[in-house]
Amino acid sequence: MRTAALAALAAGAACHGDHEPPHLAMERTGAVTALTGSKPNVHLISPLPNGEWRLPSGDYANTRFSPLAQINTTNVQNLHVLTTASTGVPHGHEGGPLVVNNVMYVVTPFPNNLIAIDLHKPSGAIKFIYQPHPDPRAVGIACCDVVNRGASYADGKIIYNLLDAETVAVDANTGAEVWRTRVGNIDIGETTTMAALVVKDKVLVGSSGGELGVRGWMAALDVATGKEVWRAYATGPDADVLIGSEFHAFYPKDQAPNQGVTTWAGEQWKLGGANPWGWVSYDPELNLVYYGTGNPGVWNPDLRPGDNKWSCAIIARNPDNGHAVWATQLVPHDHHDYDEIMENVLVDMDWPTSDGKVDKQRKLLLHPGRTGFMYVMDRRTGEILSAEKYVESTNWARRYDLKTGLPDEDVTKHTGSGKIVEDICPSSTGAKDFTPSAFSPLTGLLYIPAHNTCMNYEGIEANYIAGTPYLGADVKMYPGPGGFQGELVAWDPVAARKVWSVREDKLPVYSGVLATGGNVVFYGTMDGFFRALDARTGTMLFQFHAGSGIVGNPITYQGPDGKQYVAVYAGVGGWMGAVASPDVSADDPYAALGVVGAMKDLKKVTGLGDTLYVFGL
Amino acid sequence: MRRGKLQHEDARHARERLLVLLGVAGTLALGLPACTRAASAVEGGRPVPGSPPAAAALGQATARPVEDQPVGPVPGIGDVPPLANPLQGDRSALQEGRRLFVRYNCSGCHGGRAGGGMGPSLRDPDWLYGSSPDRIFSSIAQGRGHGMPSWGVRLPEKQLWELTLYVSSLRTPDEPEAP
Repeated sequence: MRTAALAALAAGAACHGDHEPPHLAMERTGAVTALTGSKPNVHLISPLPNGEWRLPSGDYANTRFSPLAQINTTNVQNLHVLTTASTGVPHGHEGGPLVVNNVMYVVTPFPNNLIAIDLHKPSGAIKFIYQPHPDPRAVGIACCDVVNRGASYADGKIIYNLLDAETVAVDANTGAEVWRTRVGNIDIGETTTMAALVVKDKVLVGSSGGELGVRGWMAALDVATGKEVWRAYATGPDADVLIGSEFHAFYPKDQAPNQGVTTWAGEQWKLGGANPWGWVSYDPELNLVYYGTGNPGVWNPDLRPGDNKWSCAIIARNPDNGHAVWATQLVPHDHHDYDEIMENVLVDMDWPTSDGKVDKQRKLLLHPGRTGFMYVMDRRTGEILSAEKYVESTNWARRYDLKTGLPDEDVTKHTGSGKIVEDICPSSTGAKDFTPSAFSPLTGLLYIPAHNTCMNYEGIEANYIAGTPYLGADVKMYPGPGGFQGELVAWDPVAARKVWSVREDKLPVYSGVLATGGNVVFYGTMDGFFRALDARTGTMLFQFHAGSGIVGNPITYQGPDGKQYVAVYAGVGGWMGAVASPDVSADDPYAALGVVGAMKDLKKVTGLGDTLYVFGL
Repeated sequence: MRRGKLQHEDARHARERLLVLLGVAGTLALGLPACTRAASAVEGGRPVPGSPPAAAALGQATARPVEDQPVGPVPGIGDVPPLANPLQGDRSALQEGRRLFVRYNCSGCHGGRAGGGMGPSLRDPDWLYGSSPDRIFSSIAQGRGHGMPSWGVRLPEKQLWELTLYVSSLRTPDEPEAP
């Protein structure tokens, strides 16, 4: 039965160049019967067109699912390293490579070189290296290592952000710079670390800088010329936030006009954070892009009374003109730096209604929150259909009221000036950080790289000095209760429950996840183990100890020889990996915005690295 | 701006104030923004801001007239004696240094107890630009590559020495608010 299912799936994969809609191919596999429970009818809205990886998440829907099944649960134990390559930059390697036309493209951490590798040559060969030479002052402005989260391919170009708030487009064949656009100003603390996403003819770029009082924005550049077409701020009057006639928020709390001003005191909205430094997804049928916004600027909540819109919110926009169609703020008046920039995974699934019926193929948005709550939303409207804790230690709020969209918070966990609040879970780094989950339509499960980290948080004075941190908080983190700090969680979004998980004793799971048609889930650990699990059961099928911790996102692709390969970076760093650097001391638990307290033994299990690994059978 | 406004009204420091003020005027002529351009070489023998005032102004003996002394960490010249922190031993200055470290967002970049983060740890034995008090002073005042701002154009000299005193105390028994 399983062989037939896999053969059908492989046939489906081969058909992706044809006109057959991929969801029919999935149905033809019939029962992937080894699943526990009944499998929901799943429709992928943006399946990968072939064995390439052209966008940061592979697809527009942020599923990080590839239908390739040559590598599967019967043979993945035979995987081995075929090629390694050094980027030459010993810093956090977030993001992942692209594969287009049998060329692999790697964007390094600052200085953000683009390395093109010709996959036709045995063991790869460098096709070109593009060196943009961004401003080194940006190194001291980036909050959380000098990372880059990836690139998009479109219109013959590789398009990505430089750390110093510029966006570049590079000819994918020659390595020549086609255009280069300055989108922000490092002197006021703006950097750009997110993976630019190309949607139709627009390059979407979002700001970083929520720790420096940067007022966040999302901009669209013309893919051909790099000229800015629209910019939507995350705070300020509706005219700046591009809230107009197309906008209808689902919840009354989100409906009043100009809340980007009225939910702040005085002019604090001008330092209002809400930077969209994470992932963007896109629904081609609804013509909506989705992204989440970060913390509301200064960490000490007493300095910014009000709900602080539109921080910690999910926003849906029309990519043609940038206008907001809906917005749902998940955390009003954030007390904990719960940036909600995490991935928004778009899938259509059957959804049970309250009267016992089933809404067929509901248009869902799955957002595993920093907050520890797994939000399932209707992506047409912004309604929260369910919000359940996917990390049990979560204690800042008890539940969400789905009628109002508001969390029922434990006020004893509210931070503020002149007090140290202890045992807040999750920590500011969250029940998960930006490292993205993967969704498998075969299992209907979301595979979440989760953390079990808690913190103490003292509100202190904050002074705004442009280009320097604007925090007002003294934070110390540590592992949460239960004897583990990381967990790869297989979550059933319809049943709202954990199906299985794999725990890490000491370290959060801080890599992206990849799910494949071979029913394999790939991810990496902060001490460098690259793993393959059975997507249905969580059984570990393969493990390789790379030279450095893995904080990037594995991809899979088909090489010029028709065989399937898996690629991932090994280079520890990023926010939670800060103490791996020789420049950060393990004896200050408050260092790196408090993560060192939770990660002080990291130097004992890994060091900095800079290596691309390619695996095959 | 408190630039040029010193805390001590001691006549013994009058010459020092004059030198710093002259240096400040030179900086304004350069149009120096709060960025990391290091203080340029001595102009006509006068010290420019971003370096500790010449030793003679603090009552210490020197080998040559102060106008002819190079300032700052100039490579190749080894006959300028390292300056002691004029606030050395002052416990309230040490506490003030800790307070200023938080107040001016140093802790945001360099970590809550200076263990690093956006900027490097100041607790560890690795010093790119030197660990003697005059060199720490210069790094804070002049700014450094990769994003360390030049605080010398914003902060009065006394606060720079207080911050220097705190940084020098890290991982010693004197460190205030040790982790």
